[in-house]
Amino acid sequence: MTESAKTSAKGRAVIRWLFAAAFIFAVAASGLFTGLMNAAGLFYLVFGSIAAALMGFTGREIATAFRQAAGGTTEMESLGKSAYFWEAAARNAWILGGLGSALNFIIALSRESSGIADVSSRMIHSLIIMLYGLVLAVVCLIPEMKLAGLADKTRSRWEARPASEAEGGPRLAGGAIAADRIIGYVLFAAVLGLTVVFLIRGQPRSGSLPIGKLLLHWPAYLVVLGGSIALALFVGVGPGARAWTLGFAMTGLISLLMGLIQALFGFVHRNVGEIASAVAFIISASSLTLLGLVSVASPLEDREVMDGRREGPGPLSRFFWVLLPLLTFIFLILTFIMVVTPMKQVR
Amino acid sequence: MTERNSTDVNLDELLKRAFAADLPVDVAAGMRERIGRFRETKTGGEAAARGRAAVWEWLFRRSVWAAISILLLAAGILFQGRGSSTPLAERISAIKTQYASLDTTRR
Repeated sequence: MTESAKTSAKGRAVIRWLFAAAFIFAVAASGLFTGLMNAAGLFYLVFGSIAAALMGFTGREIATAFRQAAGGTTEMESLGKSAYFWEAAARNAWILGGLGSALNFIIALSRESSGIADVSSRMIHSLIIMLYGLVLAVVCLIPEMKLAGLADKTRSRWEARPASEAEGGPRLAGGAIAADRIIGYVLFAAVLGLTVVFLIRGQPRSGSLPIGKLLLHWPAYLVVLGGSIALALFVGVGPGARAWTLGFAMTGLISLLMGLIQALFGFVHRNVGEIASAVAFIISASSLTLLGLVSVASPLEDREVMDGRREGPGPLSRFFWVLLPLLTFIFLILTFIMVVTPMKQVR
Repeated sequence: MTERNSTDVNLDELLKRAFAADLPVDVAAGMRERIGRFRETKTGGEAAARGRAAVWEWLFRRSVWAAISILLLAAGILFQGRGSSTPLAERISAIKTQYASLDTTRR
């Protein structure tokens, strides 16, 4: 490739990134005029995505992925891995969107309201984070598709090389990986904490109860934790990190269904307490499931792929990564309907 | 009798004379106590280390974690099924009641 052709390719890449940035800015800015702005949600999604990337990838891998997405490198060997990084970034944005919406929904429900319209508006407002997650996921999928296409073209050449060379040379020391991951987890915890603080600040108080107590509907936490560990143990060590994805996802699905059935029984029995308990169960279980997926299962699967222990994530894992946030969104809408549906209680 | 044998006999006689009677009771008790302590530190330390290792092994056993996880799951389902109330559920209940009263007022 000549020097002028390289410069032209870099220029095109820069223009593409500028377009992507303009797209995100337009989506965020349009929210200012249409009431679709959620500043705390935007902060959570951007910094949460950075933290989630650090939990599963090393700084060097992230830098390589960015360089290759910008067209600034010719390291064909790591194209497949960089494509996987962008797929994982899209996945993280999507899952974080669902998690953010669920957490915001809990906070919206737990605060004192100055009226029905106020609490309804806050509940709907919490769904905006999902929209942000979707936009960010789409933006991340663009470099993924580009790099995956390039990787497919060069795969035959890559596979013809010796294994050690094809995998990008010697691996990083375990310490370096651990340090990146620790930074990722600390940052993620800080982002979650700050987001809750920002969200609470913008809403009325919830009486004397601390937010920690309101966020914790412990039967849901017991079910999701117990079920996930049990399923992961039952699947065994063979599938590796995929067992955790399966554990969290299946327990999440079962919990959502359980909550829905209990809520429907509540409507039949005309028992507000039963419906409220089921709604709290649904929101809390979906939150913990998505938290488990994004902070435990996905980073473990990412490391397996990046360390060359697996070709890529399992098809079931990919299916659950897409399905669970979508189901969370649908169930949040259902819970909203269940909360606002007037019902006379039978005493 | 060789010269060496006669020396052994002399030494034997000397020992018999020196330890003619049993050890005094207090000395024997003191010695027993010291020997007991020594034995305890030797065998007790090993037993404690073995115990600690067994505890760790037990903790990392898959069956233990499986049992704990099943217990957690069952407890969660039972508590939820019994409709145990949490602050979040109470808050949702209050909002739902608010909606119901609003509907009644409208009618």
